[in-house]
Amino acid sequence: MSFRQPSVLPGFGLTFGFTTFFLSAIVLLPLAALALAAASMHWSDFVHVVLSPRALGSYRLSFGASFLAAAINLVFGFIIAWTLVRYEFPGRGLIDALIDMPFALPTAVSGIALTSVFAQNGWIGRYLEPWGVKVAYTWLGVTLALTLISMPFAVRAVQPALLEVQRDLEEAAETLGAGRLYVFRRIILPTVLPALLTGFTLAFARALGEYGSVIFIAGNLPMKTEITPLLIVIHLEEFDYHGAAALGVVMLGISFVVLLAINLLQAWGRRRHVKAAH
Amino acid sequence: MSITLDQVTKHYAGAPVVNDVSLDIGDGEFFVLLGPSGSGKSTLLRAIAGLSGVDHGRIALHGRDVTHVAARKRGVGLVFQNYALFRHMTVAENIEFALRVRHMRAQARRQRRQELLRLVALEGLDQRLPAQLSGGQQQRVAVARALAHKPEVLLLDEPFGALDAKIREELRRTIRQVQRELGITTVLVTHDQEEAFAMADRIGVMNLGRLLEMGAPHDLYSRPATRFVATFLGAANLILARCTPDGVQMGANTVAAAERPPGVEEREVVAVVRPEEVEVAASRDALSSAYLARGVVNEVVFTGALESLRVRLEDGAQAPLLAQANGDAGASLLVTRTRHEQRGFEIHPGQSVAIGVRRVHVLPTPLSSFTACAASAALADALSRQPLLAELAERMKTRIAMRAEPQLGVPDAACAADSPFVGTTAIASQTDCAQRAEWLLRRGAKDLLVLPEQAAVPQRVLIHWMGEAARSATLAASASALRHLSAEAVYVGIFPEQSASAHPQHGMRELLDARSEAQLAHGLEMRTELRFGDVAQQLARRLAEAPAQMLIVGVAELTRFAERFRGLLDGGQWPVLIVYRGSP
Amino acid sequence: MAAALPAALAGDATRPGQHTRLHSLVRWLFIAVSLTFLAAVLLAPLVTVFVTALERGLQAYLHSFANPDTAAAVRLTLTTALVVVPINTMFGLAAAWAIAKFEFRGKSILITLIDLPLAISPVISGMIFVLLFGLHGWFGVWLREHDLSIIFALPGIMLATMFVTFPYVARELIPLMQQLGNDEEEAAITLGAGGWMTFFRVTLPKIRWGLLYGVVLCNARAMGEFGAVSVVSGHIRGLTNTMPLHIEILYNEYNFVGAFAVASLLTLLAALTLVVKTLVERTGYRRR
Repeated sequence: MSFRQPSVLPGFGLTFGFTTFFLSAIVLLPLAALALAAASMHWSDFVHVVLSPRALGSYRLSFGASFLAAAINLVFGFIIAWTLVRYEFPGRGLIDALIDMPFALPTAVSGIALTSVFAQNGWIGRYLEPWGVKVAYTWLGVTLALTLISMPFAVRAVQPALLEVQRDLEEAAETLGAGRLYVFRRIILPTVLPALLTGFTLAFARALGEYGSVIFIAGNLPMKTEITPLLIVIHLEEFDYHGAAALGVVMLGISFVVLLAINLLQAWGRRRHVKAAH
Repeated sequence: MSITLDQVTKHYAGAPVVNDVSLDIGDGEFFVLLGPSGSGKSTLLRAIAGLSGVDHGRIALHGRDVTHVAARKRGVGLVFQNYALFRHMTVAENIEFALRVRHMRAQARRQRRQELLRLVALEGLDQRLPAQLSGGQQQRVAVARALAHKPEVLLLDEPFGALDAKIREELRRTIRQVQRELGITTVLVTHDQEEAFAMADRIGVMNLGRLLEMGAPHDLYSRPATRFVATFLGAANLILARCTPDGVQMGANTVAAAERPPGVEEREVVAVVRPEEVEVAASRDALSSAYLARGVVNEVVFTGALESLRVRLEDGAQAPLLAQANGDAGASLLVTRTRHEQRGFEIHPGQSVAIGVRRVHVLPTPLSSFTACAASAALADALSRQPLLAELAERMKTRIAMRAEPQLGVPDAACAADSPFVGTTAIASQTDCAQRAEWLLRRGAKDLLVLPEQAAVPQRVLIHWMGEAARSATLAASASALRHLSAEAVYVGIFPEQSASAHPQHGMRELLDARSEAQLAHGLEMRTELRFGDVAQQLARRLAEAPAQMLIVGVAELTRFAERFRGLLDGGQWPVLIVYRGSP
Repeated sequence: MAAALPAALAGDATRPGQHTRLHSLVRWLFIAVSLTFLAAVLLAPLVTVFVTALERGLQAYLHSFANPDTAAAVRLTLTTALVVVPINTMFGLAAAWAIAKFEFRGKSILITLIDLPLAISPVISGMIFVLLFGLHGWFGVWLREHDLSIIFALPGIMLATMFVTFPYVARELIPLMQQLGNDEEEAAITLGAGGWMTFFRVTLPKIRWGLLYGVVLCNARAMGEFGAVSVVSGHIRGLTNTMPLHIEILYNEYNFVGAFAVASLLTLLAALTLVVKTLVERTGYRRR
């Protein structure tokens, strides 16, 4: 088989050439620089940077908060998607459009706005203060910021899947005597489960790399409220390029694992779908 | 000739989707390419338009070879299945597109557009967007757009697929009218036989990438040459019969055939009886046509103008064999009756009736049915379930009988059953296979299919014959088999080593002769290859070169058969069809 | 999306057995939970931006833009977007044409590579350019010898922004063009049109709404990028501070009105992006 199937449309050479050239120049070459910078480190130096107590502390916060944020979005993302897909209420169109706001909004804006809302004297923060709940400048704040910026990914992953749960399937189940909860458990949930998991993974991956919104609300205390991307920036500001690159490679490696998981999940979802169609 | 296709072949992912299609379409002709989905008809149309290239062969429009000419320079008009109107342009802009490309002046463009809109009866809709039109109107715009630049050829790709029945009929008439008015050569692709009958001057029926048959609608319907065309164009009862000098013998009774098939020898054939050519009556005497058998009415369905019946033939040795039955008990004869006939003789389910046949057509195909033959009934049964055999029988809509020969392969032993071998005999490929094959051929088997356990449906069929006596029969069997396979045909010419230097042109000559005979007499397009050396050795080597190949080999004498064919047959991994026709 | 959903599917009020108390309770519970969550996490911060920006009155709000550093930040952001967005648009069109119109081996790998920047932390995106062009980077010595600066200067900011916003137009166009199919282009070609004519007269009008959204989104992300730009910019006031970076500086100086005033501009840009997206979806051109 040849590289390309013949087509009557022109322009393959031009567009493919431009695409691969530009991709290589802007994306692949710089990424190679990162890999090489980390590879040129001595093994023990690499381990020293990557497993330093401060780095470990930042992983704990980054992974813990990202996982928590993704889990929160798993629940609320499903509820929001369900509400938007299944219920008619005033302002639904507006809410639907607003879901993408954290995606379009610069992260710095999200960061300062969230901080002032959840600060001790903020609109919401002041009501939490008497209960002893501090959000801004704690790990709670980090989780909150990550929840906000990864929310659209969870909702948008589930929404089409919920739309796709064919009403006639549910109706068929109902005519066969199934109750609402049973229909939900046996028909709806299995259909949207792959999408839910994809949404979770996407949200997690997005939260893991987040920088802009978190640094405002985190407080940035080493070992306590310092996320890994911030630690990279600190290394860079000290001109410790190798240390930054090492941490970057660790984060990238984890991102790739997560991406791989997304692809596998999607493939799994497709297979289930195909099987169901047969 | 307006459109000439010469051996056009197109592969997709290794398998041919258009397989050696040759075709001439005359000036002003309305030609319909008819076939089920996936038969390659749309691909062929796109190849004519230049939207998809061909791997092999030649396409000419009005004598100009356009095989390598870009689509935009071919000057054809193509109407797409889903209209493919430019959705952001008005009707006027859509129609004028081709004229604008050709830098025609605005005034002239407008004039041509008015003309075309009048032609398709859409005057006044110039400024509408496609989304504001109904499906039928969109398709009219698509036709007008395709005609704007006065193409020499109009191509229509399932143009009525998405429309409902009433609009479809109306549009059919419009298109036929426009075509007559302009006298433009037109090719229409469809899977709807009724549409093909209604519109075509000539129909070409495609299946599995091959152009099986072509002809005027009436000829194709009443005298199909292949099982596929017989059953795809309307309903047909296929009956396994014997061709005798008196006529067509179905079961115990003989009916005169509409036309005598070629060949004098008595043999098994496939007879086509259209449901409307079957007559039912209370008794044999009340029939006005030739008596066939008695049967019981299973089902009566009222369909408006016609009534359709399913009649189960009474069992017994005297009963005709339905080709489709394939062992199950549910098969029955299809009958349709007009209102007039219904009034004359009312029928209810469960009623016993006498069946007569008004007209029988005999298919010229030499492969009629299969008989799985093995040393025991259990082995024969297992062989009948061999995937390739089952697939072939399914595609050929024929049955697999079973025959146990305990003495199979034992020299000088007689046949266990005294009935003659009919149709194609199938045996399993195993160690002493060549000997068994000789045993069967010497006892009357004419066509012998040797099947390895795991043979897949072949993608290439190699053809060769030894001895001129077998030549014609081999070609006929090959043509018949290839109609049911999506495979390419290759004739392998083999000459003794020493002749290579002596008479090279003699070998080429023979190859070309074989090719043109296949094409003329059997409608079979095949490629040719030339090899030198021992025949069986060369064939075995050629078969081992690639997977999914099959061999059809003609044999004219059986001297030292087992010895010669041992290397080719014993434990071979490829199916082999042996066609034996001894010299007279 | 949900907005384009037929009403019959969303609220099937006439079905018997759907008016039970339990059903309507579940329904209102779901709506209430959704709205509360969104109000707390999304709406409150959005409103805060404008309230804080206007806290000292309209005069103070407008005055904050008169600050020369702020004005310089706005200029820099606009310049960056003006360079980055057209380049990425061209890339997006080329990539979408190659991927949606042709079948070739390694296509899925190419798509994955195009999506790559989305999966990478913005900090890392910035860092890779520091590693390449920074003082101790690969080309650092060569650049210094030739008196060129990329990092802590405009080219670095543009490169980092380009990297981060690289996939947006392509991601928007590829599924759209795949969904719209090749029929119209093929029709144009059988009618005699050439490649460029087919592209400009048939393809471009066909995908214009999706392209518009892709460009607007790419622009919003380019103007709002923080992490990557923060790493390569060097935070030189009035020179290499983009709007988001300037917000950070103002905020850390406790100039909340100034910070939120700049933030309000970017918020309006985001809102505009969403309006375009909603309009584009109304045209029915977008997928899902």
